[in-house]
Amino acid sequence: MATVEERVKAVTARVLRFDPKDIQPESSFTEDLGAESVQSIELVAMFEEEFGIEMDEDAALSVTTVGGAVEFITNVCKAQGVAVEE
Amino acid sequence: MSKPRKHHSLPDVTRPNLLEDIFPYDLPPRIRFDGPVVEYIDGKPAQFDFASVATRDIVITDTTFRDGQQSLPPYTVDQMVKIYDLLSRLGGPHGVVRQTEFFLYTKNDRLALDKCRELGHKYPECTGWIRAVKGDFRLVKEVGLKETGMLTSCSDYHIFHKLKFRSHKECMDSYCEVVQAAFDAGVRPRCHLEDVTRADIDLFVLPFVDRLMEMSEQVPEDLAAKVRLCDTMGFGVSYPGAELPRSIPKLIYRLNKEIGVPSSRLEWHGHNDFHKVHVNGATAWLYGCDALNSTLFGFGERTGNPPLEGAVMEYIALKGGLCGIDTLAITELADYMRSIGLPIPGNYPFAGHAFNVTRAGIHAGGLRQDERIYNIFDTEKLLGRPPRVAITDKSGADGVVHWVNDFFGLRDEDRINKIKVHKLARWVIDQYEVDGRLTAISDQELAAKAKEFFPDYWAKYKANA
Repeated sequence: MATVEERVKAVTARVLRFDPKDIQPESSFTEDLGAESVQSIELVAMFEEEFGIEMDEDAALSVTTVGGAVEFITNVCKAQGVAVEE
Repeated sequence: MSKPRKHHSLPDVTRPNLLEDIFPYDLPPRIRFDGPVVEYIDGKPAQFDFASVATRDIVITDTTFRDGQQSLPPYTVDQMVKIYDLLSRLGGPHGVVRQTEFFLYTKNDRLALDKCRELGHKYPECTGWIRAVKGDFRLVKEVGLKETGMLTSCSDYHIFHKLKFRSHKECMDSYCEVVQAAFDAGVRPRCHLEDVTRADIDLFVLPFVDRLMEMSEQVPEDLAAKVRLCDTMGFGVSYPGAELPRSIPKLIYRLNKEIGVPSSRLEWHGHNDFHKVHVNGATAWLYGCDALNSTLFGFGERTGNPPLEGAVMEYIALKGGLCGIDTLAITELADYMRSIGLPIPGNYPFAGHAFNVTRAGIHAGGLRQDERIYNIFDTEKLLGRPPRVAITDKSGADGVVHWVNDFFGLRDEDRINKIKVHKLARWVIDQYEVDGRLTAISDQELAAKAKEFFPDYWAKYKANA
């Protein structure tokens, strides 16, 4: 099973049309990966779908980096009882 | 040496000060005054107490059927009756919309007047409008009106170049003969000082109004002449310090305080040629004119008159309460006007289809958090028109989610969040970025997409509809 980080990178790469190899934990969604307003929403929606979780909109949209998303999603998965590979 | 600056320190405020005593939201924002205003007239200070407007019997008068019709195809009798009925509802039982005036020249004019009076409304009172011709009083008497407006044009453009009088005296004598005929007929004359903001105030207007006052002393109070100040070309200005004849403050002061025309017999009638029409009307109220003459949606000769619905909002703002006004009638009147083919611009305040519609995503985001941020007052309560968003490439996900919640009627915790509308937001963006669209997306197009992307909400929506 892929790790949270690998899955987050895969979703990010698909939505923002990047090669996963170019996405680093410290990559900023907006500044480094060029996510626009609607793409940020799409990213959150795709993360929810990928992990089978529901995220608080404001909290999720305040996450700025890929590494931050990994940490945030891991915590949400734990809180919602969803098993993931860390 | 520079002047010492007043220092302002920043206290650590942690609770918002929303100034709700001024911006109550369930009413238009209040207009309050914190001191008298001083205007220099003939070099001497004259003091005006604007706050007194809260207790003065200021009123709105209407000329939708007279000046309003001069700019449009004529209304049918049925249309006038419908509009009159709604005007009565709008102005409420205390007669905030106090009077409306009718032409009396054609059979249809007189039939419309009769049909309106048959409704039995106390307000608006029906008055007439005639030329300054003695014979025209026959019309006023025949229809049994108590008051009529009459043209008493007072600039030299009118006196010498239009009416061809040889002197001010000949003109004044002619007008006064008609005023006397009105008194003799038991009809209150309302003298319309046409083109007063371009008139010779000292050498015609003041002597004429002085004589009107003398004549009025000879008749019962309910016949005493009223004076309508007609800013025929929209030349009037509200600024303190402006010169006569364009100064509204000075005109009113001269008539009210020097000649002694009571405020209750002074009325302002403006035109919008210089975009000043509404504020000029409100200025006339503040400086001592009790009546503000207006037309629905500003329809009127050339650029139009003070918009009646604007005067209504100003009235509420000055009085601090609805005073029996039914503001929802504004929306009904606007819908009715549109239904009979009279266009109201989309961005027209209080009545245009887009007056409280935002296209900016950042504003939509604000609306979503607290509609007070970008809505002027509770437009749903007062006008039956909740704030809305129109969707374009500038709307963003905030705009889209506001539209979706508004469309499905979802409130508070039932509202859909932004994440759930990502497919519709993507479709909107692609319309512009992929398909090269240049127009706004219509509600019908969005509704079709809402059905596709939110089938569960759509089913509930259809069931409720």
